[in-house]
Amino acid sequence: MRLEAPTRGMGLGIALSLVPGAALFTVFFLVPVGVVVATSLSDWSPIGSAFTGLENYRLLLADDAFWMALRNTALFAVAALFIQVPVGVAVAIILSQRIRGWRVLRTVYFLPNVVSGAALALVYLTFYNPRYGLLNQALGAIGVDSSRDWLFDVDTALPAVAATWVFTAGVVMILVMAEIAAIPAEVYDAALVDGASGWQRARYVTLPLLRDVIGVCAILVLLFTLAYFDGVYIMTGGGPADQTLTLSLYAFQQYSESNWGYANAIGALLIALGAIVIVAVRRVFRIGQRDF
Amino acid sequence: MAGRMLGRAGRCAFLTVVGIACLGPVAWVLLSSFKTQPQVFGRGNLIPSPFSLEGYKALFTQIDVVGYLLNTLLYAAGGTVGALGAGLLAAYPSARMRFPLRRGLTVMFSLGLAIPIAGLIVPEFVIVRELGLFNSRPGLVVFYSAMWFPLAFVILRAYLAGLPPSIEEAAALDGATYFQLLGRVVLPLARPGLATAGVLVFINVWNDFLFNLLLAPSTEYQNVQVGLALFRGQFKTDIAAILAGTTVMMIIPVVTFVLLQRHVIAGLTAGASR
Repeated sequence: MRLEAPTRGMGLGIALSLVPGAALFTVFFLVPVGVVVATSLSDWSPIGSAFTGLENYRLLLADDAFWMALRNTALFAVAALFIQVPVGVAVAIILSQRIRGWRVLRTVYFLPNVVSGAALALVYLTFYNPRYGLLNQALGAIGVDSSRDWLFDVDTALPAVAATWVFTAGVVMILVMAEIAAIPAEVYDAALVDGASGWQRARYVTLPLLRDVIGVCAILVLLFTLAYFDGVYIMTGGGPADQTLTLSLYAFQQYSESNWGYANAIGALLIALGAIVIVAVRRVFRIGQRDF
Repeated sequence: MAGRMLGRAGRCAFLTVVGIACLGPVAWVLLSSFKTQPQVFGRGNLIPSPFSLEGYKALFTQIDVVGYLLNTLLYAAGGTVGALGAGLLAAYPSARMRFPLRRGLTVMFSLGLAIPIAGLIVPEFVIVRELGLFNSRPGLVVFYSAMWFPLAFVILRAYLAGLPPSIEEAAALDGATYFQLLGRVVLPLARPGLATAGVLVFINVWNDFLFNLLLAPSTEYQNVQVGLALFRGQFKTDIAAILAGTTVMMIIPVVTFVLLQRHVIAGLTAGASR
C-alpha cells in the first residue's frame, strides 16, 4: 500500500515533466520538418502559396547553382571523411600514448572547435588577404612571390575554404581518446607477448577496436558538412561564380529572395541527406555489431 | 632503435603540422590585433612592436561592442537555462521511470541532434514570427532553448542513468512526490551533468550566427558574432579594428573552454554515444 501511493501520484508528475521539452521539440523540430516537406511541394513566398507538386524538385534538377552547391557539399564531405577524421584519429592515437604534455596538447588541438564559425571566417579572410595576409607573406619569405587572392580565385576558392576547417580535429580526437582509454590493458599485454611493435599495435589492435567510434565521428563530421553555413556566408558569399556555394547557403539565399517553397525543397533534401548519412554510416561501420 | 627514433620524430612533425594548420592563423590574428595599422601592412613582423591597443580603441568607439556582448550573454545564459530546464525535466523520467511511449520519446528527442537545422530556416522564421517573437530577445532565448534541448536531454539522460537509484528509492518510500524527488534528490545529484551540458550549450549559443541573423536581425538585437562580422563589411579599411573585433568574438568561448574543459570533454563523450 505504501508503494502504491507515490507511484500513482507520479503519473501526473511525469506527464507534466515532459511537457516543456515536448512542446519545444514539437514547435521547433517536428512542425518545421513537416512544413519543410509539405511546402517543398508548393510555390510559397511571403505573398502566398500554391500547390505545384514536384515542380520545385524539377527546377532543382535544371538549376546549375544547385548542382554546384551539391558538388561543393559533396567535396566538403569527402574532405571531412578522408582528411578531418583520419587526422583526428591519428592525433588521438599519438596523444593516448601519454607523450609528454599530452594534456596541454589536447587543449590546444580542441581550441579551434570552440572558436565560432563567424570568428574563424574573419580570421581566414585576414589570413588569405592578398595584401597583408599571412599566407602570401609566408610564401614571399620562402621566395614564392604570390599576390593571389585565394578566396576569390576560381582555382583556389574551394580548397581555401575547406582548409579553414578540415584540420580542426578536436571533436574526433576527444571521442577517439575516450574510446582508447576504455580499451582494457590486457588486450595490449597479449599483443606485447606476441612481439608486436608500436605501429603494429596501433594498426592491428587499437584501430579495429575503434571502428564504432570512428563511425560516430564520420556521422558527426558529415552532419556538420550538411549544416556548413557561417564560414561561406561570411568569407565568400558562395562565390566566386558559385565555386564555394553550399546547400545550406543556397537554401538561405533562396529564402532571402522570398522563394520559400524552393528554399524548402533544398531544406527537405538536407534533412533527407542527414537521415541517409546516419543510416549509411551505421551500416558501413556496422555500428553496434560485434565481429566476435 | 633507429625505427623508434624515426617514429618519434615523425609523430612530433605530424603534431606540429596539424597544430599550425588548425591554430596558426588564429594565433596570428590574436597577435596582430595588438598591431597598429602600418604594422599590419608591414612585412616580416609577426610580433607586434610596440604592442598597441589602437585597434581595440577604434572598435569600441565606432560600434556598440558592449551592447553586442550583453545581448550574447543574455542569449547564451537564457538559452542554457531553458535547454537545461526542459532537458532535465524530460531526461529524468526517460532515464528512471516507466511510462507509455518512453522509448519512442527518448529516441525522438535524441534524433533532434541529427537534424541539419540549417534546412529548416523558412519554417523557423515563420513560426517565430507567428508567435510574435520575431526580432526580440525573448524570441531568441526561446528558440535557443528549443534548438539545444536535444543535446541537454541526451547528456543529462546519460548522466542520470549512470547514478545509483537507491537514494531516490528511499525518498520515494518516504512518500516524496514526483517533483519533491526531482527537486530535492535528483537536482543536487545531477549537478555535474548539468555543468557538462551547460558548458556545451552556452558555448554553442554564444557562437551562433545563422539564427541570430535569421530571427532577430536588427542591430539592437545582434549578438557579437553577427554584429562584428557585419561590422567588417562597413569598415573595410580599418584592419586593426577588424582584428580586434575578431579577437573579441573568440575570447569568451576560449576562456570558458580552458577553465571548464573537463566538462566539455565529458559532455562530448556522453552526447556522441547516442
